[in-house]
Amino acid sequence: MKIIYFLVAVCLAALSCTKEKTDYEAAIDSGATEFTEFKEVVNVLDGDYNISIEALNGAFYNGYNEIRLKITNSHTGEIASVSAVTFLPINTNADGVSSSCPHRYDLLSIPDSNYYSGYSVFTSKSSADETWELYIGFTIANQPHALKYPITVQEQKNKNLNMTAFTGKDDEQYVIALIAPHRPKVAENELVAGIYRFNKPTSPPAGDFPDPAQFTYTEVGGYTLMLDPRMPEPSMGNHSSPNNRDLTQESDGLYHGVVNYTMTGNWTLNLMMLNQNGRILKGTEVPTDFTPGIEGAKSELYIDVLF
Amino acid sequence: MKLLVIFFLVLFPGMNAIAQHTHAESDSVKTLNEVSVTAIARRKIETELKMAVSVDEFLASSERISFIKRGAYAWEPLLNNMSTERSTITIDGMHVFGACTDKMDPITSYVESNNLATIDVKSGQAGSLHGATVAGSIDLKRKSTPFAPNSEKQWNGAYQTGFEFNNSQFFNLGNLSYASDKFVADGSISRRKAGNYHNGMDEEVNHSQYQKFNASLGLAYKTSPLSSVRVDAIFDQADDVGFPALPMDLWRSRAIITSAAYKQLFDDGLVRAWDTKLYFNAVEHYMDDTKRPENLVHMDMPGWSTTFGLVSQANLKRGDYTADVQLNVYNNLSIAEMTMYPQDRSKKTMFAYSWPWVTTRFAGLSMNNAWDISAMSTVNFGGSLGWNYNHSKYVEFNWIFFPGSPQEKTRILPGLHASYQLNVDQFDFSVGTGYGHRAPSVSEAYGYYIYNSFDRYDYIGNPDLKNEVSYEVNASAGFRDKRMAIAVKANYFHIQHYIVGRILSLGSPMNYQSVGVKGYASLDHAKLFNLSLSANYDILTHLHWTGMLTYARATDDKGGNLPFIRPLSYQTSLHFMHHGFGIQTSLNGDFAQQNFSPEYGEDLTPAYRIWNVSVDYTFDFKNFKTVVQAGAENILNEYYSTYADWGNIPRMGRNVFTSLTVKF
Repeated sequence: MKIIYFLVAVCLAALSCTKEKTDYEAAIDSGATEFTEFKEVVNVLDGDYNISIEALNGAFYNGYNEIRLKITNSHTGEIASVSAVTFLPINTNADGVSSSCPHRYDLLSIPDSNYYSGYSVFTSKSSADETWELYIGFTIANQPHALKYPITVQEQKNKNLNMTAFTGKDDEQYVIALIAPHRPKVAENELVAGIYRFNKPTSPPAGDFPDPAQFTYTEVGGYTLMLDPRMPEPSMGNHSSPNNRDLTQESDGLYHGVVNYTMTGNWTLNLMMLNQNGRILKGTEVPTDFTPGIEGAKSELYIDVLF
Repeated sequence: MKLLVIFFLVLFPGMNAIAQHTHAESDSVKTLNEVSVTAIARRKIETELKMAVSVDEFLASSERISFIKRGAYAWEPLLNNMSTERSTITIDGMHVFGACTDKMDPITSYVESNNLATIDVKSGQAGSLHGATVAGSIDLKRKSTPFAPNSEKQWNGAYQTGFEFNNSQFFNLGNLSYASDKFVADGSISRRKAGNYHNGMDEEVNHSQYQKFNASLGLAYKTSPLSSVRVDAIFDQADDVGFPALPMDLWRSRAIITSAAYKQLFDDGLVRAWDTKLYFNAVEHYMDDTKRPENLVHMDMPGWSTTFGLVSQANLKRGDYTADVQLNVYNNLSIAEMTMYPQDRSKKTMFAYSWPWVTTRFAGLSMNNAWDISAMSTVNFGGSLGWNYNHSKYVEFNWIFFPGSPQEKTRILPGLHASYQLNVDQFDFSVGTGYGHRAPSVSEAYGYYIYNSFDRYDYIGNPDLKNEVSYEVNASAGFRDKRMAIAVKANYFHIQHYIVGRILSLGSPMNYQSVGVKGYASLDHAKLFNLSLSANYDILTHLHWTGMLTYARATDDKGGNLPFIRPLSYQTSLHFMHHGFGIQTSLNGDFAQQNFSPEYGEDLTPAYRIWNVSVDYTFDFKNFKTVVQAGAENILNEYYSTYADWGNIPRMGRNVFTSLTVKF
């Protein structure tokens, strides 16, 4: 028996390594926080009705935000029967100029749920120079309601949900926002992005501010986002990964592709945006050579991610 | 850990069979004199030229073994010109796996010459006793002192020290044993420290230093006249080991190798002995690239390999028939990490697994049988059947290059072999054949961005590789009389699904000095042929000559050359001994490597010739047997590198060595 104790003791001693192993799962977890829970971020009383907006983690962030809007009777707490729910985020800069960002204006009623669904791609965070307000409209019993509510847009700490705004060669303004994955892995990841084009107003503003016609965006259809992910660090020498797939539009209107991350660290998604006719509207090809010690060149259209 | 404790507690009392491997267990074992194997003619751990050698230098004297050298330390032994994945390397039948993805720590680097008794090399399927193999087996046999035959208590010991001038290597090796009729203890301790060596142009080869500490302890107790228990442990630690041919060095490697064995002998019956051993070993290996100014980026590459297992062997005998049956079971977990740092160290690091927590489980039953048909001829036959299971915990790393490959893989590894030996007067002949499978190694199946500095490619493992299947024939002929002996041995391997690295058109390199990505792939087949000719002749009573010539040729399915195949090489030595005085001289070298493989980063290695001389004197000083030796290797200070020197790193130039051995 002594022998066994001796052996087990030796084993225990041997298992105490000189250097600790990396806790990979913990490292992946701490790299990017994934918010999965919708929490209330706006709660405003409008007469007899209570308007509540929920977003992931109860906050609005720079970039893509899915939103859920709920209207209840403030007396009974029951879900109100509403129609024509509209949603319009307005940004005002230091010069007092108003603009918006990609959003869904007419919120969708989701069957078997008690909320209306939409999204907003906030193009900047709130600051002393830039403020954000939500303009919400709805109709109850043929009675239109309208209200506005100031909100705070926080910095997006998760670089995997970054966005970029640019003007394409067709002279149109575009926004590309990353929607998934929130927490990539060293693996094949389904990459989801939204591409939005600002519709230049064709007529001067009319009616009370804001005139929604001045602030409309289109989810562009039939485009292609060509993808070339690379690690930009000089030490990584323009390292890339195999088996990536360009992003194409699917039935949800979003663009889906595949990105492979071969290791954790800084990555750049080099993109080229092609329209329905295959014309490059933005983006350049990047060199594919392995160039250790030299920072990797980026496409004219890129999004940095980190995990 | 819990599992391990349970493993030991459950299995220890329930040991139920099988033991020792040898066809030479003495016929009527009445008392147990030796716990260890009474094996194959024992070779002492010393070469003809040098009495204080490292394990690597000793192995190099075998005609079947060649080496890939990445520096002065931890040479990778090639058996039949095949790399370590294709052979099983064990310590007393225990499987130990290196923790370095770059093969900087072959198992032979975790033992020391003063805790080994001999090294048993078996070629091809004849080596399948310790598990599935293609090339054969290398079993490092530890010293184990026999029980004292009567109640006398015996102390034995030896101390070796020496200095080698080329690389200022200073070594001290000590071992001590105690034996009584009931109890035996063996202990050894050693330390080597070497600086950079100098090549044949007297230039210092930077990053070729090393330090090694090794200690071992073995305790045996005779539980009855025919049974004994034994526990063994080896601790080995190497620090600050330079690898001049690689872009990184070793900061520390450490191994603890433990076992507990029970042996039972039987007076009569079919089963004559069985020996069962439980073992556990843990290896850790930490590379260090911060001492290389050319590395603008630094990467930590630690590796861990933990194995526990069971080896149980029975020795059977009836009349002209003897057999060894061996059960091998082990579980290995191999982990290797890469962490790269951006120039700004405070920034987030880049991390990946080069071995994504790969578990290998193996269970196999092997059998070797020998039947003496007549006084002149013997038939040997045997086989093995193994079950090999792999599991990759973070399989997502493997999916990057091989999407959808399975997380688990089970393989069945059969093996068969047979040979016939005939002795006619002074001649002996043998012919043999073999068939066997081997599973891909952890690196070949699950490796991820393992940088190979020889061809400068990053290697990716493929979990779906097929088993390598070897078909082998071998033959030998020999002649022996009182003054001379000559033997020729040849073998030929036809290996289906031979695993090599193939350039992948996808992906891009990760390691700083790499030029591309290779994935492990199977060739349709490869062919290897090995031929050796050895002879000795006693010119005078005190003057002996030995010579050896080896040739090998290996090609892939398209007729291209395989890498690391030894060109025509020779070794010849003269040995004079008289009245405690000895002088020996040897000449060895390779011819030019004409059949090199540019595809794997090889170029033509020119011929070289090394001349060595040593003298020794043996005398008794009080009760101590003392030997002093001095000599020189590479006297002509030839500047050379061999076909298997990683990155054509030049070998050591002239090296004057001295050593002293005291035994009692």
